[in-house]
Amino acid sequence: MTGRPMIMMLPFLTALLAIGFAISGRRGACIGLWVVTLLVFAAWCQYHMTGVLPISL
Amino acid sequence: MAGDIFSGSRRFSDGMNALGLAAVCGVLLMAFIWQVAFDELPCPLCLLQRVGFVLVGIGLLLNVRFGPSPLHYALILFSALAGAFAAGRQVLLHVAPGDTGYGSPFLGLHFYTWAFVLFVLAMAWTAAMLVIDRACADAPRVRRNGPLVRAIIWLFFALVAANLVSTLLECGFGACPDDPVSYLWWPR
Repeated sequence: MTGRPMIMMLPFLTALLAIGFAISGRRGACIGLWVVTLLVFAAWCQYHMTGVLPISL
Repeated sequence: MAGDIFSGSRRFSDGMNALGLAAVCGVLLMAFIWQVAFDELPCPLCLLQRVGFVLVGIGLLLNVRFGPSPLHYALILFSALAGAFAAGRQVLLHVAPGDTGYGSPFLGLHFYTWAFVLFVLAMAWTAAMLVIDRACADAPRVRRNGPLVRAIIWLFFALVAANLVSTLLECGFGACPDDPVSYLWWPR
């Protein structure tokens, strides 16, 4: 882990908004929020995957 | 005749996408029940895998709400790849000899291993659906879904909302510990 700020629940919030937009028939907004969720996912992966794996590949 | 074939293929595709969304709901429900019933808190990587399933679910939801489209299938593929990356990383983290893994196993495998298998299956499913829906174009139109499909959609919404609340209780507005043992905002 690093000292950078992170909010673990954020991707669930953006995903919930994306689902809400899909339900209300706004595809563009849903896809936009899907992209935001994926970007947050990637950032959080980078945050949590900094340790060295105990294996040799 | 060709119209009949396409109409049958479309019905099959609609059913498969709704079934896929129900399967994602099943996975999220199972993880949530396990968390509550056995008091096993999800680690950050476990939560990221749940996000991966939610992203897959959004792609399926788009197919269900607006009709199948290559764009929606691409979203499902990217989501499954992202989820498999997070799950694969956790498998590699615990694969070393002597490591007992994180959490309890289910049917002989840990949840992150099941998640990896399911994400790979989601990729194979998408490839098969792209064959079945090969004639579909990106022509989004809001559909009127039946009561069963509407119930699946709202179950998906409720499960993501429940995960949002549960993650908030576990981690607050910050990062989760690598090996969580108690909820941050849920006194016991």
